[in-house]
Amino acid sequence: MEITGAQPGYFDLEYYRRIQRIVGSWMELDEISSDDQPPAEVAEECRALLLHEARLIDRHQLDDWLDLFTDDAAYWLPADASQLDPASTVSWEFNDRRRMEERVERILTGKAYSQIPPTRTTHCYTNIELLAVSENEVHALCNFILNTHRPKGGRLLSGWNGFILRCEEGRWLIELKRVNLLDADAPQGNLSFFL
Amino acid sequence: MLKEAAKNSVTYAEHVYDDYFGEGRVHRALYTDAEIFKHEMLRLFGSTWIYVAHESEIPDAGDFVTRRMGLRSVIVTRDLDGDLHVLFNRCSHRGATLCREESGNAKVFTCPYHAWSFGHDGGCRGRPLPKGFGASTDDFPYDLSKADHVESYRGFIFAAIDTKLSLKEHLGGAAEKLDEWLDRNPGSDLVVQNGSMPFEMRTNWKCVYDNAADGYHVPFSHESLLRMLSARYGNVDIAYYEGDFDALPLLVKDLGNGHTMLDQRPLMHADSAWERQHVLPGRESIWSKLNEDLGEEEALKLLNGSTGSGMNLNIFPNLMIIGNQIQVLEPVSVNETIVRWYSTSLTNVPPEINAVRMRMQEDFPSFGEVDDTANFEACQIGLEEIPEAEWVHIGRHMDSRLGETDTDGFWKEPVSTDLHARAYWQAWRTIMESNEGGKA
Ligand code: FES
Ligand SMILES: [Fe+2]
Repeated sequence: MEITGAQPGYFDLEYYRRIQRIVGSWMELDEISSDDQPPAEVAEECRALLLHEARLIDRHQLDDWLDLFTDDAAYWLPADASQLDPASTVSWEFNDRRRMEERVERILTGKAYSQIPPTRTTHCYTNIELLAVSENEVHALCNFILNTHRPKGGRLLSGWNGFILRCEEGRWLIELKRVNLLDADAPQGNLSFFL
Repeated sequence: MLKEAAKNSVTYAEHVYDDYFGEGRVHRALYTDAEIFKHEMLRLFGSTWIYVAHESEIPDAGDFVTRRMGLRSVIVTRDLDGDLHVLFNRCSHRGATLCREESGNAKVFTCPYHAWSFGHDGGCRGRPLPKGFGASTDDFPYDLSKADHVESYRGFIFAAIDTKLSLKEHLGGAAEKLDEWLDRNPGSDLVVQNGSMPFEMRTNWKCVYDNAADGYHVPFSHESLLRMLSARYGNVDIAYYEGDFDALPLLVKDLGNGHTMLDQRPLMHADSAWERQHVLPGRESIWSKLNEDLGEEEALKLLNGSTGSGMNLNIFPNLMIIGNQIQVLEPVSVNETIVRWYSTSLTNVPPEINAVRMRMQEDFPSFGEVDDTANFEACQIGLEEIPEAEWVHIGRHMDSRLGETDTDGFWKEPVSTDLHARAYWQAWRTIMESNEGGKA
């Protein structure tokens, strides 16, 4: 896979504070009034983006999956779903774009024994809610049921996802995927795939 | 008869494990036999020092965390005088789990069942409707049972139910290596309050422990990581593991009492640990901010002090220090183990340093531990499924005559040795076969 020229410098304390504020606001979210929802056309595109994202992981098309993310994207799987501050708390994964690419490349070496064979997944995204933040920014929340299979047994995972979606040159992309695993703070088995 | 049994509550027949050991080999049953596992939980985890918690997790009077000593749930408490106690988390009344929270601060521990309450030292403080208790049960053990020996070494709290050794004697050579690990950042204290990653694996706890100073597996088990890193970044991190890596100045040491160390510092820290470390999220932004704030020299000093320690320090049987993390082994059953990676931070450093420590501590669990786990589980499957193949090899470098006493007085061997396994199995036998104390 080609190494993209993602800008590696955006994970600083200011960034952590911004992400923390946004995820915190999702946790306090009440009803989303119709005024706060994006126009139907945008909503349609954002929903389609989430479902596309889920499908590409389930099909192990990880290069294509990465293409759905912005150059300054993050994939965040906290080790406790209530965790907010990445500057002082360790996560199962808190990947910048470069780290996401590294993880995909590692799996594609064919020597990542935790992914031989790859974990099979079925992602079901439900209860999708959209929140228009600006013309070019939408936040998406959904619940997920994630069925996984490995040769020695699988697990049924669930929880909720929060996405920051951004429109760049007319195309909606994912800036943040935060996965709030129901039992993120409990002992976990093989999580070496993308949730 | 009953009274005797009650007094000496845990007794166990004398065990001799001669048949399970041979030259450079151990028997599969040590990993697969549920009876042996039961004996380990009683005897091994009941009569040597077990790491339970770090003092920074319970800094204030009344603070507690619940942990395990083998299969025993324990409450690690700090009383109002600041003293530490390790109480069995079992109500003295009918046996209910007393404390059902993982951590917190408590004035007393009150049992949810009939509301008996207990102090931080385990003393019984209250029993509702006291008129119902009379002389017949005056001699009942109303206080909580607890580990009689609790000591802390530089913040690391250990407990033992039955031992003749002081903690210092038990730690032996491991203490000075722990000092080296802790003293990398003069003026800063270690804090264990930054979350943890508990990995659950279907394997015997010793399949995990076997690996704790196994320099042999690195380029093979972690080939995906090494390939990805060298394709992207060239000669960084542990890229030196290639060819005849036994010829490199990497080593494994026997520190006594089953404790060992794998030391990569001669290569990892030869120049600058931070500069050698492969990139991590935020590397550039945090580095330039620290350079701006502190100047390049001071920034690099702090970053070096927070980069992978270059040592795997293993304190038998359940504590493994790796990088900046504290790894704790929790056996669950003969073929289930939880490995908890506690993340650490420092006092008196800019917040950027602790932020970079968080990202760094997500590194190896994500890129390495997952593949190690796949192999630990594969070992367990092989050991369980094929009774005809009986032995496990732990004989590397027994005959190569490449070992020698190092300048610090400890025996060392080339990095691919099985010295670690041989050292801890010896300690395992010493404890498991001993009759001292008449318990377990
Ligand atoms: S079992 Fe605890 S008070 Fe009865
Ligand atoms: Fe490993």
